[in-house]
Amino acid sequence: MSKTLFEKIWDSHVVVDEGNGRSLLYVDRHLVHEVTSPQAFDGLRLNGRKVRRTDLTFATMDHNVPTSNRSLPILDQTSAMQVKALERNCKEFGITLFDIDSPDQGIVHVIGPELGITLPGTTIVCGDSHTSTHGAFGALAFGIGTSDVEHVLATQCIWMEKPKTFEIRVEGKRRNPHAVTAKDIMLSIIKKLGTAGGTGAMFEYRGEAIEDMTMEQRMTICNMSIEGGARAGLVAPDEKTFDYLRGRRYLPDNYEKLVDYWRENLKTDANATFDRSFTLQAGEIAPQVSWGTNPAMTVDVTERVPFPEEYAKGNLEEEKAAAKALQYMGLKAGTPVMEIRIDRVFIGSCTNSRLEDLIEASRVVKGKKVSEGVRAMVVPGSQHVKKQAEDLGLDRIFKDAGFEWRESGCSMCLGMNPDILAAGERCASTSNRNFEGRQGAGGRTHLVSPVMAAAAAIAGHFVDVRDMDLS
Amino acid sequence: MKGSVIKYARDNIDTDVILPGPYLKIHDYNELAKHAMEGIDKDFHKKVKPGDFIVAGRNFGCGSSREHAPIALSYSGIKAVLAVSFARIFYRNAVDGAFLLPIEIDEETYKEISEGDQLEIETSKNEIKNITKNKTYKMKPFPELIGKIIAAGGLFNYKP
Repeated sequence: MSKTLFEKIWDSHVVVDEGNGRSLLYVDRHLVHEVTSPQAFDGLRLNGRKVRRTDLTFATMDHNVPTSNRSLPILDQTSAMQVKALERNCKEFGITLFDIDSPDQGIVHVIGPELGITLPGTTIVCGDSHTSTHGAFGALAFGIGTSDVEHVLATQCIWMEKPKTFEIRVEGKRRNPHAVTAKDIMLSIIKKLGTAGGTGAMFEYRGEAIEDMTMEQRMTICNMSIEGGARAGLVAPDEKTFDYLRGRRYLPDNYEKLVDYWRENLKTDANATFDRSFTLQAGEIAPQVSWGTNPAMTVDVTERVPFPEEYAKGNLEEEKAAAKALQYMGLKAGTPVMEIRIDRVFIGSCTNSRLEDLIEASRVVKGKKVSEGVRAMVVPGSQHVKKQAEDLGLDRIFKDAGFEWRESGCSMCLGMNPDILAAGERCASTSNRNFEGRQGAGGRTHLVSPVMAAAAAIAGHFVDVRDMDLS
Repeated sequence: MKGSVIKYARDNIDTDVILPGPYLKIHDYNELAKHAMEGIDKDFHKKVKPGDFIVAGRNFGCGSSREHAPIALSYSGIKAVLAVSFARIFYRNAVDGAFLLPIEIDEETYKEISEGDQLEIETSKNEIKNITKNKTYKMKPFPELIGKIIAAGGLFNYKP
């Protein structure tokens, strides 16, 4: 029988099939961080359980670690306690931890692939919704809550109801791949499908524009699957995937043999069918800017902030939501996006903090200055990304322009460490969520690509990066 | 199960407004509860009573995987959230720790239920009685796995 890539990975991990898709799945890799794990470890202790596969479990601290000087102690007492708790738990249960001083520390979804923990054809879970990122490698990767974290720690398995398959085809070529990025493609997909378009499904991204992408670009795409409602997103692995991973630290010894198997098997069969399908033409996509309070509230940079009735197309609920969003965002309908002035710029997060993101953004910044009154920061996704960027001199380019160059972590993506927006501040952000208060209570987030964020930092407002020389 | 309704007539109520990021560092569930819904309703903590239900639109609980969101609602006294649809991680988190029931209702039912209405929910019959309006609605039955986890009283009691 013909199968999709998702079905192949699912079927190869079923431990118990209870019928109707209700299955116990084996978990190949479990990634752990400080925020969603303490109660899970408490639960293990309370019930006298051990971690079943310490060799398949890896931990780091990323969500609430400060990104300023690492030689200083964490001032926030509750953050310090959470970080300490993870150290204690990993020691007690025998789990590999990349702690705050480790050269391997970073955002969990950046370091997984970087260290070769993420592998094609595997199942990967983590107590974080952006676990979907790892799908870029052809892994079935999804976010789970703390109870499931405890369950996986104890059993290395997870109960799941089989999701639907949803094919997302991005056809053709991008017109200007430096200006129209993976982020713009993903925001366009979410804009069209809505934030719940993929609920109950797993996306598989296919088509020429996806095949043309680098691994880092595919990670940006898969990362935001959850913003489209899908718990996971997949891209079939190819030579780029295998090359990216080759030589990384945690690869199994029989890696090349596995590559041969993956090359043959990890793809959707020619006549397999998906439950749903959606197609987008890459050539028609422009740089995107979100104007509202969910990622589907996004327009082309050349457009205006929509009027609620225009956005809602007759749906009264949507109209109300858009009016509320405009109020929260402090925006007037009809304002050209390029006239929106910003106070802050954040280049970072598990969506856009990898080396390539920083290289692309640095091209915009080189030899220029951050606009007066704008505070801009670059937060590399991991210590390795930071080091590689510094070896290329990117830190100098950003610092000379007036950007802050930070230590790795989730930083201003989610407002639970010192990097936050003040109420009313407006931010061009390369992160993934523009929810109310996400970057700090009352903060206003515009989701954009790294090049769009960099250009906004220099101009003080949004600009169309297609007008710049980015080659 | 009987209680009164706190209604948020909007879609996409995300986990960041149900329990804002800064509070994810709190370990004590009763403390977490004090910040439930703070992102859109600063008065929630004052008005919620044990046994209350939340009624909302589509895609409730979208966003982060934080189990803190259903925990904060549960420890505030919320017994069920009735929404047109749920984001999947929240949906699962709600039942894993037996925190609250995520009940899917249709668009009409969502529109008809008002703030303060008294409801009686009978999940065994997939029925919601609106005592205030003297009406009965259907709830969408739980998917098999979710229903079984609920019946077991949470993930760790669930035996296939």
